[in-house]
Amino acid sequence: MSGIEVFLIDFLKLTFLSMVPFVLAGQGTMLGGRTGVFNVAQEGIMLTGAAVGFLVGYLSSSVFLGAVSAMLVGGVFGLILAYFTTTLKMDQFVVGLALFFTGLGLSSLLPKLALGVTLTPPLIPTLPDIPIPLLSKIPVLGPILFNQNILVYLSIILSVLLWYVLFRTNLGLRLRSIGENPKAADSLGISVTRYRYLTSIIGGMLIGLAGAYLPMVYTGTFTDLMVKGRGWIAIALTFFGGWSPLPIMFGALFFAGVEVLSYRMQVGGAFIPYQFLIMLPYIATIIVMIFTFGKAKAPSFLGQNYDRERRTL
Amino acid sequence: MTQIKKIFPYFIAVVAAFIAAGIFIAALKFNPFKAYETILTTSFRTPNGFIQTLVKWVPLTLVSLAFTVPLSSGKFNIGAEGQMLVGAIGAAAVGITCANLPAVLLVPMIILAGILAGAFWGLISAWLLYQFNINEILTTVLLNFISFALIDYVATGPWRDPAAGHPTTIAIGENGFLPMLVNQPPLTIGVILAAIAAILVYFYTDKTTSGYELVVTGANPRASKVHGINIRQMFLFSMIIGAGLAGLAGAIEVSGTQHRLIEGLHSNFPTLGLIIGLIARGKNQAVPFVAFFIAVLEVGASAMQRTLLIPVQVVLIMEALILIFILLSDLIRRRQK
Repeated sequence: MSGIEVFLIDFLKLTFLSMVPFVLAGQGTMLGGRTGVFNVAQEGIMLTGAAVGFLVGYLSSSVFLGAVSAMLVGGVFGLILAYFTTTLKMDQFVVGLALFFTGLGLSSLLPKLALGVTLTPPLIPTLPDIPIPLLSKIPVLGPILFNQNILVYLSIILSVLLWYVLFRTNLGLRLRSIGENPKAADSLGISVTRYRYLTSIIGGMLIGLAGAYLPMVYTGTFTDLMVKGRGWIAIALTFFGGWSPLPIMFGALFFAGVEVLSYRMQVGGAFIPYQFLIMLPYIATIIVMIFTFGKAKAPSFLGQNYDRERRTL
Repeated sequence: MTQIKKIFPYFIAVVAAFIAAGIFIAALKFNPFKAYETILTTSFRTPNGFIQTLVKWVPLTLVSLAFTVPLSSGKFNIGAEGQMLVGAIGAAAVGITCANLPAVLLVPMIILAGILAGAFWGLISAWLLYQFNINEILTTVLLNFISFALIDYVATGPWRDPAAGHPTTIAIGENGFLPMLVNQPPLTIGVILAAIAAILVYFYTDKTTSGYELVVTGANPRASKVHGINIRQMFLFSMIIGAGLAGLAGAIEVSGTQHRLIEGLHSNFPTLGLIIGLIARGKNQAVPFVAFFIAVLEVGASAMQRTLLIPVQVVLIMEALILIFILLSDLIRRRQK
């Protein structure tokens, strides 16, 4: 294989690897948004998910338990968001922001409480690659797609599954109708409240897992503010993907590609000052928004609470 | 009487947050009463403590206003952090390149450069909102991350101070230092600048036609549009003013406190700014008072960590709890109506 081929295979493998947090957080955001609950606490939930996933993984020596705990904590955030917005009818942005800094504070506090102040942070084993028999032997595609950690596979399966549920099942039709017109959905006997809770909690779980992925795959440890804006980028990604599972997955690949490119060029010693390479993912996100934001088909009642006693919507 | 009735739910919310956080502190096996004694009295026991509180109050007030002024028109500026940093970069750039100008010129130039640089950073988000209708929460946050890299670039670039171990620029000209109000412990006229800014904001939003239009836009954008207010212009305008205030905070930090540009200058001020703005329920005139209260907590928190070894993050949890309880008390009042 030529040098450029090796580089490309390596680049694409890393891109699929880095896609996971964007896919999970993006799908989580999309799921809640489809019923009208607009979560803006991703960054905080991911940080807490990363901290909890790492701590539980380290203290129990089980990465699996760590991942499950991160999902549970994310689910609790989703539940709180649903309770404050759907039941108490408080402004979704305000509650989301309050949850964002609750998560920010928790993620910084929890490791200090559990481990004390340490000079050398403890490490957890990172997720191993699981080659899929036969498929991983295919030249080029094999090493890129079929020799990855389990969450890469799961995030692809999840995206397809979500597409199927949302667009091919009765449940999906109900969920989408709530986000488009909750009053009409309500009048057909669909419980707006129940589905908003459900999607917000599952969405929160996915976002929590997205956070736990960072220590579990990238670093093996938790560092303060390690999410570095990926939670916010996930919101942009959701608009970019038109609140649809499959485009969100492909959008996640794009953002992951930019991220990998930015790191690769920093390591490769490009002639551009490295600080500008660090900016690359954020600038790319803003540029993408310019081209997609106006056209994005967001759910009509995104971010709006539903009160069945009000006459007008 | 009505005034007391208005403040009462806040009082209850704060007390409830203190009790909840106290249980948390006790669960960590620390003495909550000792912790609260330190948190609440450090600012008032010594002149040093009080001045420290005022020094903290300055950026807190400004970054909170950077959030609440756009909020008056219904827009969320989460980017005070980036706007403050870029303001600091602008201030440092003028302070270093024009180091030899006399103080009467240099100090106002530095302050102005900070305000303009911050406002420019906010203008990017405001323009993206105005032109393409892109959600301002996202762009302001993304610009925060860009500004972290930018400040690192400036602090390691041609102005780098080779003697410093950490990415830091050389000092600005001595003529650019903010004049002192009190020499020991140091308190600069930054505190007056922040107070003037807060009063101007109050005067603008409460006493002028344009400010009224701003508030009305936030209260009901559709009705405002029908009545001929250019609401998109209002969004643009309020975002730029907010960002300029954050830029002023950056300039005061450079010219009054650090006298140079230091990477990592962004502490948790801007996050606190959001909390303060929300605790003040977006009311510009309440911001300076809430900011003072939070400054007391913050100064007390670092004293608590020093003397009682309780992690400062406990106070962040407490502040988040105050916010949540105040949001809840709002709700209770709404139910009672």
